Amino acid sequence: MFIVSNLPACAGVGFKPEHFRDILAAPQPLGFFEVHAENYMGAGGPPHAQLGALRERYTLSVHGVGLSIGSMEPLNREHLMRLKLLCERYQPESFSEHLAWSSHNDIYLNDLLPLPYTPQTLARVTEHIDEVQSALGRQMLLENPSTYIRFSESTIPEIDFLTEVSKRTGCGLLLDINNVFVSAKNHGAQPLAYLDSFPFDRVKEIHLGGHDEEVDEVGGPLLIDTHASPITEAVWSLYSHVIARAGALPTLIEWDNDVPDWPTLRHEATLAQNILSDASCASAA
Amino acid sequence: MNSKNVIANATIAGSFAAALAMITAPAFSAPKPPQPTMDKCYGIAMKGDNDCAAGAGTTCAGTASADYQGNAWKYVAKGTCTTIKTPKGTGSLEPIKS
Amino acid sequence: MSAMPAQFEMSFADALLNADRPVPCGITAHNAAIPTRRFAVYRNNVAVGLRKALQSRFPVVEKIIGEEFFAAMALVYVREQPPRSPQLTTYGDELPAFIAAFEPARELPYLADVARLEAARTRSYHAADATPLGADHFAGFDTDAVAGIRIDMHPSTEIVRSPYPIVTIWAMNSGEQELAPIENWHGEDALISRPSPQVEIRALPPGGAAFLLALAAGLPLGRAAEAALAEEPNFNLTGNLAGLIGSGLVRDIVFPQPKK
Repeated sequence: MFIVSNLPACAGVGFKPEHFRDILAAPQPLGFFEVHAENYMGAGGPPHAQLGALRERYTLSVHGVGLSIGSMEPLNREHLMRLKLLCERYQPESFSEHLAWSSHNDIYLNDLLPLPYTPQTLARVTEHIDEVQSALGRQMLLENPSTYIRFSESTIPEIDFLTEVSKRTGCGLLLDINNVFVSAKNHGAQPLAYLDSFPFDRVKEIHLGGHDEEVDEVGGPLLIDTHASPITEAVWSLYSHVIARAGALPTLIEWDNDVPDWPTLRHEATLAQNILSDASCASAA
Repeated sequence: MNSKNVIANATIAGSFAAALAMITAPAFSAPKPPQPTMDKCYGIAMKGDNDCAAGAGTTCAGTASADYQGNAWKYVAKGTCTTIKTPKGTGSLEPIKS
Repeated sequence: MSAMPAQFEMSFADALLNADRPVPCGITAHNAAIPTRRFAVYRNNVAVGLRKALQSRFPVVEKIIGEEFFAAMALVYVREQPPRSPQLTTYGDELPAFIAAFEPARELPYLADVARLEAARTRSYHAADATPLGADHFAGFDTDAVAGIRIDMHPSTEIVRSPYPIVTIWAMNSGEQELAPIENWHGEDALISRPSPQVEIRALPPGGAAFLLALAAGLPLGRAAEAALAEEPNFNLTGNLAGLIGSGLVRDIVFPQPKK
């Protein structure tokens, strides 16, 4: 059996343990919760008690941050098995990972690192996604990265790379609009132009998050994907543009650092829900 | 077990009985057993947020702080160790030469 | 001719962990020849992300030595012993040994043991769930067989022995107890367990650690009690059995095979 990613076209939020009490205190008008897979790979304890309670009540998305799909080295089989166990235990409606690498030579670097886009890396990423999907018995979603540098050896535009991987493997795409904005600004490109050539028909989820603004050595913008603040006006406006063109899509609010109180985070989800403007989402839980 | 046991079986059995009495006896000291709360069921710490933090986090986010350069002068204690009194004094962490 | 992608990964990874290395060639920016500050974002993400993982696992160590000292020490540790697994909840298992050999911390001989306690606390937090046996399972044993009983310990059970008052130091720095000078400076053995969803930490009575470690190693009750007595003549078997059962440390009782 091959499980296809299936989140409701509603707003959801990234789950943080500090919000657990508030979330369970009342039914939340949210389409889904998303968790980072690596935080639930222990054998037991409070993380699983909380995730179990959440899963009973809400649609669940599992988002991996450490599989290193973009690495030229073989995938970490042990880690893949841990993901498989997690997916079997909680049966999430969706599983996603990043177009990035994070492990090299058995060292885990704990960041989503960029890769050059070439025919070789395309072939390797395709192999890795085939391996993940067959191990998990489910479709995965692949997320576009936020990047700060470029590789002189890249020959394939990012959108072509993502589209081709999706075509070859059947994986869905996770469109992170904040990442699009961050990368475009960092590389002197237009985020709207990027979005207008994105294959929306392959997108199964959208991510929205906050970023920080710094400058590089020549005074150019250097945006950092921090997930530590509210979503900016510019990203909201790109989001509205995408929804107007592509229709309603499952949309996650990511806030991973300097986590705010629950009402503040839920307010961000309400803003997204207003743009999605689908009344059926309140009861999606 | 054989006869070389230092502790007689009867002693161990007796200790068990006494131990159980210790555990179950003081019924009157706790007239109302506390109801398990939601927090307790899911392991949420009541004081501080220590237990929430006990799982080292992983995120897919970056950071804006700049901190990858090491500096030996930072090895000057500014924590509670100055109040932790050992038989040899409180101990002072001094900058090392590097 | 550009480098092979795998080569790229190698120089990228190397430059990430070693701040004195130049930005690997082949890495560019649309507006700068050598994008040092852009590459520094990745360096920061790695260093700060791993430091935060250690901070969240060792909050008491950080409180004792202060944020700056901890950050500087973490940076050295991250460089010397980067994680080997994406499962960061286990990262820092080797930090106590690192601290024990860390020259700038030599004035705080108890620090490594406090770190051992904190590492054990996280392991206990993430250990497998199990319902401890209640007191009613311990009544009516056959007197002849009782010394041969083995205890299957709850998976969350951890014991850390120390010649320093680590439980008191931990309690004072985690908000469990008021911070004050420790007048009665003596060794403490810590019992860390999670019979309910919350991790509990307590100081063991004399001989308690020897007793529990012997049981955890699979020795039968009689032998474990002997081991504790050998170490501590005042070992109180009744009190320690009450602690064993009352603290929820028993997952199961294994009865001896009848003699042939």
